[in-house]
Amino acid sequence: MNFNLKALPIAISIALLPSAVLADESTEAKVAKLEQQVQSLQAQQTKSLADKFNFNGFISGAYISADNNAGYNGATTSADFSQDSKIGFQGTFNISNNTQAVLQLMMKGENDWDVEAEWAYLSHRFDNGIKIRGGKLRVPLFMYSDYLDVGYAQPFARPPGEVYDQVPFSSYTGVDLAYDFEFDDSTLTVQAFGGESDVEVESDTSSDTNLDLSNLMGINASWTDLTWTFRAVYGETVLDGTASGLGVDDEKATFNGLGGSYDNGSFLAVAEWTTVDIEGLLADTESAYLTLGYRISSFTPYVTAAYVKTTDNDVRGAIPLPELAAQLSAALNEERTAYSVGLRWDAIDNVALKFDVTYLTDFGDTTGGMSPNLLPLLMTGENMYDDSMVYTVKFDAVF
Amino acid sequence: MKKLLSILTLSLGVTFAANAAVVVIGNPSASDMSASEAKKAFLGKGNSSIVVYELDEGNAIRTEFHNTVTGKSDAQLKAFWSKQVFTGKGNPPATVATAAAMKAAVAGNPNAIGYIDEADVDGSVKVILKP
Repeated sequence: MNFNLKALPIAISIALLPSAVLADESTEAKVAKLEQQVQSLQAQQTKSLADKFNFNGFISGAYISADNNAGYNGATTSADFSQDSKIGFQGTFNISNNTQAVLQLMMKGENDWDVEAEWAYLSHRFDNGIKIRGGKLRVPLFMYSDYLDVGYAQPFARPPGEVYDQVPFSSYTGVDLAYDFEFDDSTLTVQAFGGESDVEVESDTSSDTNLDLSNLMGINASWTDLTWTFRAVYGETVLDGTASGLGVDDEKATFNGLGGSYDNGSFLAVAEWTTVDIEGLLADTESAYLTLGYRISSFTPYVTAAYVKTTDNDVRGAIPLPELAAQLSAALNEERTAYSVGLRWDAIDNVALKFDVTYLTDFGDTTGGMSPNLLPLLMTGENMYDDSMVYTVKFDAVF
Repeated sequence: MKKLLSILTLSLGVTFAANAAVVVIGNPSASDMSASEAKKAFLGKGNSSIVVYELDEGNAIRTEFHNTVTGKSDAQLKAFWSKQVFTGKGNPPATVATAAAMKAAVAGNPNAIGYIDEADVDGSVKVILKP
């Protein structure tokens, strides 16, 4: 709406004229009505300026500890305040009605508060409804991928690591295309993406990981009637570099995922099932979780059950060198079940407090993904920690 | 048990009567809207040419409207919009402070919709949905 402010007085006087002539409605009421209309027009004008640029942010602060030093999500017997603490700022510039630039900067405690751009893209919606985005984007593999760090928009203290930790990168550089098919009561969104990424993990206990991910591409479809949501995704990429002390030479990795959620306003259910398959010796995994929650005014208690297991233990077991087979099996085979009980409390406007207890168990004859277990398992065949109880107290806010 | 049931029925009846007071309004030239179209519109989905106005946060009519139409509480609505904002999918609708301002905004734009207490409806706007 391009309303010229200079024309306002003229518009008002023209509009006032008939009201002065017409005596059947009280002048006072008419003036009051016109004042409202002027205010509304002014509001629209201010809004159109404010529409050009939006600034938003989110912040999370977390206390994590555990009943032992197994190290799940960085949790040990001593309190940790940085692992799940983060702050993000987002600027959205509306270049035109259909074109915008988005920049989201993140600082995470687990990355020593280094500033990183998680989103940095230009998007354009064509007249036919197709939306294209280019730049740095989130890899849309999981249901919560797009807002992985925005704890306020999630029911739980953190997305279950059994599923979400199986893909060690969350953004890529490239392009995506999305289209919304609108039905009477529902929307189907189809999104295709392609680009490249990398994984750099510095490890204290095992070898560093340094992988280039090329030919990253995938497609997902998500249907929602705003109560039910169903989602399916496929993704693939080619890995090159080193991981877990292994040379990785152009090995293809594929990802499959199914997800669903139900939210009728009081009852909440979310479930995801995913698989990762990598050529060669790196671990293939299957994982899933189910979260159930129920809102009682500002309180949302929830329970989660999640598991992960490697599905290609036989590949590593079949390595002809027994010592190497044992080492790689101990390092990469994984089996774990996690049970969480938690509470989200929408304590005050824009701030949610979360309390979570997660119990990790059923490691089978693997380390359960706990790195302090690796040496004891190799030397003695026994884990140092057979289970772990992780406590989280967290606040999530948006501004 | 019977007594409990009648109390339950009574309280349900009261809630229902209170909910019935909120109506979705449009420009006098606008056509009627279905409940699902309204739900989509107020959650930023569907027809993107519709301009949506909300009452300010904390307004009882707003809470009642969302309770009926989108099924979301104030906090859930905030969580929903923070998800939309931080995924670049959209921003929450513009807000107005009063029923009079809502009527003025809706009357001034053929594509605008909003909601008010049914008692505040006058000739400047049209009721397009009684949820």
